[in-house]
Amino acid sequence: MSDRKCVLFSAFRYLLPSDYENWLERMATEGWHINHFRQWSSIFMVFRKGKPKRYRFVYDPQVSPRKEYIPTYEQFGWEYLGRMASAHFWRMEYEGERPEAFSDHESIVKRNRRTIAAVSVSFIIFLMAVLAIGMVLLFFADSLSNTDRTQLVIAEGFFGVIVIALGVIMLFLRKNKSR
Amino acid sequence: MGIDNNLKKARMRYIPMSETMLYILFSLKQERHGYAIMQYVKKLTKGRITLGAGTVYSSIGKLENDGLIKGICEEERRKIYIITALGREILCEETARITELYKNIKE
Repeated sequence: MSDRKCVLFSAFRYLLPSDYENWLERMATEGWHINHFRQWSSIFMVFRKGKPKRYRFVYDPQVSPRKEYIPTYEQFGWEYLGRMASAHFWRMEYEGERPEAFSDHESIVKRNRRTIAAVSVSFIIFLMAVLAIGMVLLFFADSLSNTDRTQLVIAEGFFGVIVIALGVIMLFLRKNKSR
Repeated sequence: MGIDNNLKKARMRYIPMSETMLYILFSLKQERHGYAIMQYVKKLTKGRITLGAGTVYSSIGKLENDGLIKGICEEERRKIYIITALGREILCEETARITELYKNIKE
């Protein structure tokens, strides 16, 4: 049996931060561990087999954290695992009561709002691309060669699908912002 | 004029105040860092409230940005905070509001 497990597009399977944390925790209880998060971990991540452990994970979106961000978490006993885009990851081994980094409802909602804001940025960028390509196709189609036109139509379709997917993700996150 | 505006803004943002925010602000009547705030609040509430790292970090950031607390120094990578005059005023007004609420309900 392999001691490595590769997971693709994990961030798209578990959209809510709390679902993502629970999934990581389940993996750890089965002995699958990830010790470092990188920029591309949302697309491709590798777990290594080890002893089953009870870890509480934290998914904390922080675009530009202040200097005291990491020291604050570390004083509370959390181990820093790195960041995946703007999301920072922490874990703490525990027995008995499950530790919480966000201890009240307001903090959980705010954390989820930061996640929505991060998705919104991508949504706006792709939406602008769709609008720009749409304008070119609408007003300058006659001056384009067939090849250029075909490429733009394909790009429009591709970005359009991404915009729709991001829109659905945003709606889902908004609906579940208290979880 | 500036102080009045800050007080008005702070009233709008912080009154009524969440229990977490109130305890954090109250605990900073003495100089404390993030972890010490959590320990103090836990002791004060006899273990009912255990503030998490993310909650303390984000609450401190908000209070500091709005001028209710300020950082005074750093010790072993830990930033120490204390309440400001604006923070004291808001804490006082919020305490009065809660006291009034308590009296009205008790009567």
